[in-house]
Amino acid sequence: MSRVDRWLGAVLIVLALVWLWLVQTQIPDAGEEWPGPRGFPLLLGVVLAILGVWMILFPGSRTPDPGSRGHELAVAAGTFGVLVLYAFLLERVGFLLATPVVIALAMAGLLRMRRLAAMLSLAAGFTLGCWAIFEALLGTPLPRGAWRLW
Amino acid sequence: MIGDALGLTTIAATAAGSIVGLFFGAIPGLTFSMALALVMPFTFGMEPVPALAMLLAVYSGGMTGGAVSAVLLGIPGTPSAVATVFDGHQMARKGEASVALGAAVIASAFGGLFSLAVMVLLLEQVAAVAIRFGPTEIFALVLFGLSTICGLAERSLLRGLIAGVLGLMMMTIGLDEIDGVGRLTFGTVQLQQGVNMLVAMIALFAIPQVITTFIETRADENVRGSAAPWPGDVRAEFPWRRLRGYWWLMVRSSGIGTIVGAIPGTGGPIAAFLAYDHARRFSRRPEEYGKGELGGVVAPESANNAVMGGALIPMLSLGIPGDPATAVILGGLLVHGLQPGPLLFDSNLDIIYALYITILVSWVVILLVQLWGIRVFVRVLRVPPHLLGVCILVLCAIGSYAIRNSVFDVYVVAVIGLFGYALQRMRIPLAPVVLGLVLGPTLEQQYRTALILSEGSHRIFLESPFAVALFALTGAVIGWQIWSSLRTGRREGT
Repeated sequence: MSRVDRWLGAVLIVLALVWLWLVQTQIPDAGEEWPGPRGFPLLLGVVLAILGVWMILFPGSRTPDPGSRGHELAVAAGTFGVLVLYAFLLERVGFLLATPVVIALAMAGLLRMRRLAAMLSLAAGFTLGCWAIFEALLGTPLPRGAWRLW
Repeated sequence: MIGDALGLTTIAATAAGSIVGLFFGAIPGLTFSMALALVMPFTFGMEPVPALAMLLAVYSGGMTGGAVSAVLLGIPGTPSAVATVFDGHQMARKGEASVALGAAVIASAFGGLFSLAVMVLLLEQVAAVAIRFGPTEIFALVLFGLSTICGLAERSLLRGLIAGVLGLMMMTIGLDEIDGVGRLTFGTVQLQQGVNMLVAMIALFAIPQVITTFIETRADENVRGSAAPWPGDVRAEFPWRRLRGYWWLMVRSSGIGTIVGAIPGTGGPIAAFLAYDHARRFSRRPEEYGKGELGGVVAPESANNAVMGGALIPMLSLGIPGDPATAVILGGLLVHGLQPGPLLFDSNLDIIYALYITILVSWVVILLVQLWGIRVFVRVLRVPPHLLGVCILVLCAIGSYAIRNSVFDVYVVAVIGLFGYALQRMRIPLAPVVLGLVLGPTLEQQYRTALILSEGSHRIFLESPFAVALFALTGAVIGWQIWSSLRTGRREGT
């Protein structure tokens, strides 16, 4: 576990350094005034770096190693991919077409379901149910889609 | 006017408002502030009393509804229900969903009624104290709220601090409200709005859990297709006996909620976290918190609902809204020709009394609707976990979209969700990240406002006895936590 903690500490230090560099280059300087728009982000970056150093110097030895298996990372990446695809489709073809496609894809790809009837009924039923609640009942507009690819 | 408060129209408006509020509060991504804004046009043609009754019922119903998804799905329906997730969802996973929901409903009604009683008794006095709170005092109060990160850090204080800092960092992205400068926006319009707190919370609470469910389903082929309740058997019962030892906690938490609510710029999330931390610290079994302890549901739910009565005090007596929801209600008063402030007590005293009665009626209605609704709500768990996971994934996306009608927020959910999963894998607790998200903007804004007022001198923070007392309390809390963490480490080492 201490090795994992040291790695985590190193990642945090890198994250903090990238953050501090971004703060220095992206946020305009407010002159001599403290803290200004930069002050808080700078302070937080420094604190994160200190915590990263603390993690390397005093790694926790009692916390069990979470471990990592290939299929778990694949499912995590797959879920991320499904959400990104959903956002992409919502913008282009709208809620009513994007939702059943994404539900079917998640069930087939992430859950490896092969029962077509179950997949189709959930995809269609949930899409229509959400549309009825959000659009028809609550009057909350759902994406209609721009109907262009880019 | 007072008679109107008990009229059929007012009761019907209250019931409708409660149901709409409960619905919006329960669905992640839909907030009761949004519900209030949507309901507002419906009230224009009404008489003042039923119109205000409807708005107040949406507020109280929405605050209560947040606990439903917090308990059943592990996703807070509203920011105020974040602290309820920690133990409420653990109870649901142990098959005690209806006990947690029943306790949440009863605690919510208790908190609401308690704050109403305080409001009736102390309206003018509390308002006179709260109006004196400047940025220094609010900064000190928020800092004290942040000190609860230590308490939410589970086993590792260091990991809790890392999580809290990451949450605070996330909330600095976007347009700086004081200087109007874009921070880490990379020139994009979407990032100028910053990371929406509710979007980030949906992502952090829901996505890692959905990923875990998918992984478990893939690992166990037999789980797929089963209609077993998730995560355990659900019984429909009301926990009157279980609540026997928690009434005093409800009183204390309601007191915290009422006081916090009366301070403008604070609100439900801060009250809920303070009450949760208070309950855990003064519990005989603090180690049970986070694992499904009933006190972890009772305390935040009493507190966040007590905020309403507290928030209405400065709004009614001074015209200062305590939170976004009371700001919408203030708009409702103005639409009906009622100017909140000290003059309201002279010219429209009857409307003040009518408001008291409508709040009382709304809590009775909410209690009945919620207690009846538990049997419906618990059925959500009777869906196979992996199918529920797919549905939650879609709900997260459209719920995030609905907050600002922005597809960009769906991308944000994907990124923060994956980030949350990575943190979870590294055993970094997510609760302090959320605390940082909730308290970060207020902390920075009040700190900077105080320094602008003092022309850059930090001495201003030592000039207020209330702020100094809160700083001392914060220091004591952190010191005590470090000491107990070192003591636990030493004990485990031997």
